[in-house]
Amino acid sequence: MGVIPQLSAFEAALAASLPAGDLRSVLESGGLPHRRVEAWKWSDLRGALARAPSGAGALTVDVSRKADQIARLDHQPDLLMPRLAAGLSDGCPVYDLQDGETLSVGFEAGEGASHHIAAVNVPAGVNAILRERYHAAPGGFANIALRIVLGEGASLTRIVEQDASPDGVLVVTTGIDLAARANMHQTTLGFGAKLARLETHVSHAGEGAQLSLGGSYLVASGLHLDQTGIVQHTGPNGATHELFKGAAAKGGRGVFQGKIHVEQAAQKTDAQMNHRGLLLADGAEIHAKPELEIYADDVVCAHGNALGAVDDEALFYMRQRGLTEPRARALLTRSFLAEPLEAIEDETVRDALLARLDAALEAVS
Amino acid sequence: MPAVKETIEDVRRLEADKYKYGFTTEIEQEFAPKGLSEDTVRFISEKKGEPQWMLDWRLDAYRRWVEMTEPTWANVHHPKIDYQDAYYYAAPKNASKYKSLDEVPAELLETYKKLGIPLREAEVLLGVEGAEDRTAAEAREAPRVAVDAVFDSVSVATTFKKELEKAGVIFMPISEALQQYPDLVRQYLGSVVPVTDNYFATLNSAVFSDGSFVYVPPGVRCPMELSTYFRMNAQGTGQFERTLIIADKGAYVSYLEGCTAPMRDENQLHAAVVELVALDDAQIKYSTVQNWWPGDAEGKGGVYNFVTKRADCRGKNSKVSWTQVETGSAITWKYPSCVLRGDNSQGEFYSIAVTNGRQQADTGTKMIHLGRNTKSRIIAKGISAGRSDQTYRGLVSVHAKAEGARNFTQCDSLLIGDQCGAHTVPYIEAKTPKAILEHEATTSKLSDDQLFYARSRGLDEETAVALLVNGFCREVLQELPMEFAVEAQALLKVSLEGSVG
Repeated sequence: MGVIPQLSAFEAALAASLPAGDLRSVLESGGLPHRRVEAWKWSDLRGALARAPSGAGALTVDVSRKADQIARLDHQPDLLMPRLAAGLSDGCPVYDLQDGETLSVGFEAGEGASHHIAAVNVPAGVNAILRERYHAAPGGFANIALRIVLGEGASLTRIVEQDASPDGVLVVTTGIDLAARANMHQTTLGFGAKLARLETHVSHAGEGAQLSLGGSYLVASGLHLDQTGIVQHTGPNGATHELFKGAAAKGGRGVFQGKIHVEQAAQKTDAQMNHRGLLLADGAEIHAKPELEIYADDVVCAHGNALGAVDDEALFYMRQRGLTEPRARALLTRSFLAEPLEAIEDETVRDALLARLDAALEAVS
Repeated sequence: MPAVKETIEDVRRLEADKYKYGFTTEIEQEFAPKGLSEDTVRFISEKKGEPQWMLDWRLDAYRRWVEMTEPTWANVHHPKIDYQDAYYYAAPKNASKYKSLDEVPAELLETYKKLGIPLREAEVLLGVEGAEDRTAAEAREAPRVAVDAVFDSVSVATTFKKELEKAGVIFMPISEALQQYPDLVRQYLGSVVPVTDNYFATLNSAVFSDGSFVYVPPGVRCPMELSTYFRMNAQGTGQFERTLIIADKGAYVSYLEGCTAPMRDENQLHAAVVELVALDDAQIKYSTVQNWWPGDAEGKGGVYNFVTKRADCRGKNSKVSWTQVETGSAITWKYPSCVLRGDNSQGEFYSIAVTNGRQQADTGTKMIHLGRNTKSRIIAKGISAGRSDQTYRGLVSVHAKAEGARNFTQCDSLLIGDQCGAHTVPYIEAKTPKAILEHEATTSKLSDDQLFYARSRGLDEETAVALLVNGFCREVLQELPMEFAVEAQALLKVSLEGSVG
């Protein structure tokens, strides 16, 4: 409070690599986000990068097809991380999705720090799938920004897989614009990193747009996953449904920050946000901050949040039926975490994610 | 509900007289020099004849405060406060005893009348000779409430003192307790809200003028409800009460606090600190009705209410329950909290907050679970009307050792009109798998169906709204002691004046 933070060598080098200007001075005056920054209170990025990633990073972006164009693109002006990504990238590949298309993108961050920005357009009436996969190698730090724009009546299923990345640091910030009657269905499956943050901002401006945000996470020892989602309802008759479920094993840390902001013009908004977390063992941590900020009166908004352990009664019941305790626990945890994934419409994608979840559960237990 | 008819009359009265309690009594006051400096702190301490350690404590707080910056994280907006442009101490000059009510200055009596304090009680409060014995005799039959009135900064008088003494309960202004029980005060003061806890608590530590001190000895159930009426008077005087309540092992006490403040144009700063300490098996129930001047329809004037209230459930099986009805103040910044340190201790928070006009309220609670099998329950009802803004901000934190901890939180917001805002900002932190934390929140408007139903039964719109709002708040109203429940219902009605249509 009031004290100007000392920049780390990494932050100073990062600032020096930027041209003089607003972005550079923002970084110079405040450094990277840290615990004292409200939006990052449980995810200390500065702390995670205290041991600086050495040198320029090697980010491998593996895309299923070529970009339609390379543009210059800025991100949300008030968010430091995507601004940095835009400022430090050479250009922004733009993908215009075709009806029925599935675009797959894999991000593999090698050692060092890397920044990347990309954009995806879903033109009016188009129905498409976007699949992303993220992994950071030990000592790697990737800061990735994405812009997704849905035209009128467009429909996008977005699947994000974040692989367990011990000793890697990953920040993915996505800005999504929904036009009238657009339909966005986003599901994430994350396993954490030394610090991983999947941050999604949705501008719900079009009348009658539908948004479904959800996902599952499972964080093992030493891993941290932060799922932050900010939804801005500015148009009327919009709907948002969020269901996030996660589990933390001993030494794992889950963070959920959700915010639904309803402007006065966004009358008849229907917004529901739900987060549920399982603490699997002593030493696990889950922090949650489900926020509502409502300025319109004719709305129905609700959020629920529950944290706890596997239900003892259910365990008892299953053991009575002859299951061993670990087996019963695994089944209950599996059924708990599977719910958000089961809502994925595409059968192949759904099965693939469920299989990954099963494998991860096997490794944790 | 017979109370409904009163709504319309109450509201009409308000039309003419806008704020019933908005009046200023003109009596001579003794001021500390305007502004805040070490000298102000010394002046206050000297006025009260405090021991050296107390002065040192205050000075330490002041020096720390100077280094601190005002917090800006709350969802409230106001012009910057000029801390040098206020008086930090005002005492009624004439606090001596009167021979009869005739001798009491008429303005003072009028104040009590408008506050709705019965004449007999006023007699005692004002220190009229013989009044205490008469009142005590009457009180034997009636339900009893002991009143420690804070008339501006100095507690003018205390009723039922003898009755309480008999039970061994100490209930007196904290300034008096500092003289009579310095060790007890020294042991507990600042042990729940440390000097440097936050900007406003530190300010309070430096300049607190007076407040209540309660000590309930082991095993004693306090024989009556204790209550304090805080009143701000004197133009431009900030109020800095300091309340300290200690329930020793197995003790029980219920404390009521109700506030009204005069109408005025300048913003008034109010930064109180309330500390509760519950030892083994002790129980404290703390109820508040707050209806300070909220400012006019354009938000001009009104009280800035920046309060730090915290309870320390220090002993095993202890329990603290906060109940609040917040309808007043231009700006409220208040989070009555419980530190659940003792095993099996319990914390409760029941709140109704109503904002109308241009009011802003950022209020909630913190439940810090440290001990095993600790339980907490939060029920918060927020009603926003007019052009007001309201935020529920709460923290439930379960530490690694708090096995078997349990929390249930429910925050419901009601929006009346499309110019207001309702926000929910809960923080939930869990560090043990052996705890269960549940949180629910909803935001909605008054149901059209219910309104239609009530109106089709012949109720006019305003009455129907009052009825539904009372229903919405029922779970909290039920928690209030009888004396307050009635006042609270009346307040809800008056507070929503002009919000319909």
